[in-house]
Amino acid sequence: MLNAERRPSVAERRSSFLSGSLQNSMNIPVVPHLAGIEDPLPETTPDKVDVLIAGTGMVESVLAAALAWQGSSVLHIDKNDYYGDTSATLTIDQISNWVNEVNSGTSSLSVCYTNAKLYISKSLRHSNTYVSRDFGIDLSPKILFAKSDLLSILVKSRVHQYLEFQSLSNFHTYENDSFEKLTNTKQEIFTDQNLSLMSKRNLMRFIKFVLVWDEQPEIWQQYAEKPISDFLVEKFKLENNQLYELIFSIGLCYNLDVKTPNALQRIRRYLTSFDVYGPFPVLYSKFGGPGELSQGFCRSAAVAGSTYKLNSQLLSFNPTTKEAVFKDGSKIKVEERVIVSPTQAPLDSKNIPKQEYEVHRLTCIVEKSCSEWFGEGESAAVVVFPPNSLKSNNRTVVQAFIVGSGTESCAKGTCIWYLSTVETGPRAELDLDAALEALERSIIRESSTDLENENDLIQLGPNGQTIINSVKLGQSFKEYIPREKVQFLLKLYYTQFTSTPPFDVVTPSVFEFSKEWPKDSSLLVPGASDNNIVYTSMPCAEISYDDVITAAKVLYEKIVGSDDDFFDVDFEDEDIPTYQNNGDVQYQNTFEEDDEEDEARDMDIVENEEPMGEMEI
Amino acid sequence: MNSNVASVKLVLLGEAAVGKSSIVVRFVSNDFSENKEPTIGAAFLTQRVNIDDHTIKFEIWDTAGQERFASLAPMYYRNAQAALIVYDVTKPQSFIKARHWVKELHEQASGDIVIALAGNKVDLIEENGENERKVATEEGQKLADEENLLFFETSAKTGYNVNEIFLAVGDKIPLKRPNDNANENGSGNNQNSSRVQLTDANANAANAGNCSC
Repeated sequence: MLNAERRPSVAERRSSFLSGSLQNSMNIPVVPHLAGIEDPLPETTPDKVDVLIAGTGMVESVLAAALAWQGSSVLHIDKNDYYGDTSATLTIDQISNWVNEVNSGTSSLSVCYTNAKLYISKSLRHSNTYVSRDFGIDLSPKILFAKSDLLSILVKSRVHQYLEFQSLSNFHTYENDSFEKLTNTKQEIFTDQNLSLMSKRNLMRFIKFVLVWDEQPEIWQQYAEKPISDFLVEKFKLENNQLYELIFSIGLCYNLDVKTPNALQRIRRYLTSFDVYGPFPVLYSKFGGPGELSQGFCRSAAVAGSTYKLNSQLLSFNPTTKEAVFKDGSKIKVEERVIVSPTQAPLDSKNIPKQEYEVHRLTCIVEKSCSEWFGEGESAAVVVFPPNSLKSNNRTVVQAFIVGSGTESCAKGTCIWYLSTVETGPRAELDLDAALEALERSIIRESSTDLENENDLIQLGPNGQTIINSVKLGQSFKEYIPREKVQFLLKLYYTQFTSTPPFDVVTPSVFEFSKEWPKDSSLLVPGASDNNIVYTSMPCAEISYDDVITAAKVLYEKIVGSDDDFFDVDFEDEDIPTYQNNGDVQYQNTFEEDDEEDEARDMDIVENEEPMGEMEI
Repeated sequence: MNSNVASVKLVLLGEAAVGKSSIVVRFVSNDFSENKEPTIGAAFLTQRVNIDDHTIKFEIWDTAGQERFASLAPMYYRNAQAALIVYDVTKPQSFIKARHWVKELHEQASGDIVIALAGNKVDLIEENGENERKVATEEGQKLADEENLLFFETSAKTGYNVNEIFLAVGDKIPLKRPNDNANENGSGNNQNSSRVQLTDANANAANAGNCSC
């Protein structure tokens, strides 16, 4: 839309405040627009706002913050007494209530989730060891690629300052009943004893190509509609186990049929994220994933002046009077747009988009640290079960995100396993169960101290460090009869619906609406409480956050007219020289982590000295 | 200087209009500390204070209005090492609310959080006489004694006891050396070794495209 229609940005609105504050006081420096600091805020909600948002999930929260900093007035509500909605991080008690609500069938939650089954062990329920708040369980767990649009927005918006991030470098592929750690760096490819010289060459040639794949359409064009596996075998002569690693662990795809460009994009995502912050491709936030990030963006929106109200449910919206009515009887006039998460739809809704795709999830809390799976100094790992690797003859990948107590999402000595699949129907649960069993066997085997033939399994390296031989580990798996069982503190199955098909990140058609309120009343559904409401999409199956910014930007553009100034915020500590101290502090922190950088540089040197890097076929 | 700087997250709590933000503005704009200019980002206000041989960098979180409809996020309390609960000595209701916040902190925050209670706006009493006072000093002191809080009556307007209350908080914060943090669980600290600073990418970003090929 036209620029003339746009509301003034926050910076524009603030200039009067800046000059006022300078005149009024001698020694009080310029204070940014921080809600509550300028004037005490009123105890009542405003009479009218530009945008009403219901649901505090990831997309809605990013949208709220983007709109607030742009200058829109936003009322952001959630019917729950916690932040996060579909992205929430919940305690044990909150999970119990959530499951009851899904199963009650009376709430709009039942449109979005089904088949919730919860098992809580006696030792968790009546325990002096654990309390409900020790655990933060993500409803849609996510990992953050080091080079991604969300990460840039986190930095640009300063929301990252509210959060703590940790690195995740271990991606395991499950094959032949054992875990293979991913060969993901050039260095590892060259030192991997199991790869032949020819394999190494082919793999290197592919990695060189994939980093610039979109600039070389001549190489992949004829495979544009064909599966990636054909492309990799025919064009790069890669072997099966390399295919699996590239497609499933690095690319995090769901099956071998994924189309070539899709998979290339995803493989590159991993490789370009590697070494941005250190020798790892992804990060995750402490205390919970999307639930924490949502809170961060909501706080950012609040700082920019948005009003927040939990425990507040939208009852209806009337597009003619532009009046929204809430359960507590209060009303508000909405000038621009009402955005609602499907979970927060008012009763008598008739316009919720169809949520036709399934994501099946199984979340477990186990009484084991599972540190065997984590990289050094880390507390999380990703395990991928490729098609046909499980007892259930799975057709589709099962992905597992393992989160240890170092993330402070669970109590010491426990670990959360998040399993998910896009398989449909009853097969999905069979696959999840088979993957769970494989994880269970593996962790018992790896953490067991009463091995009979320990000497066969652990080899000492030349410097005396232990090297676990993964091939032998795999062999012994088949013979190994576990003597102990993993103690499960909690098991939670549920099916989540989404309007986003696997592999897509957003379905733009969901957000199709005109900027003007319709004058044609025939477009309105008679008797519906949600005419003219725009629904956000449920989280998609994607294990990364890749959908979030895209979805928020689409909505932002529809409301504001363009996404040019999406989080285009001038924070005053950049504008005013006296505030540069903030930058100094950041750099101090930078130097504290010199180790990681040095490692990265070391690795570069190794790579450059490696003569095989220059070989071409 | 950078070897002895400890970051301390301090959260502000209190009823609307008790002057909690004014206290902070007074604190960060005063020139009693070596580092005069407060650093202000969109995230929180910061101020450095020198105590003995070390420096404390307060990261002061304002509620940003999210407390109005009981909508403060758990993130607000998370890893807070200190809290400043403010009430207005001329408004009994605000003192009742202060009790509520003490309870809330005991439930939500980490066990070793240092809490300070500020009975603000004593300047009104000096101006208008003792009749103006609705919360006795003894009442505030009693609550502080019961709950093990630091207690000061303050005036953001005149600056009375403002620096003192922050210095007292800084004094009471258990000092952690960077090396002690490795196995630290819960009462978090920014110097955590496993933490990745997202602003560090610039150093590596230029190489990021090449690193894997």
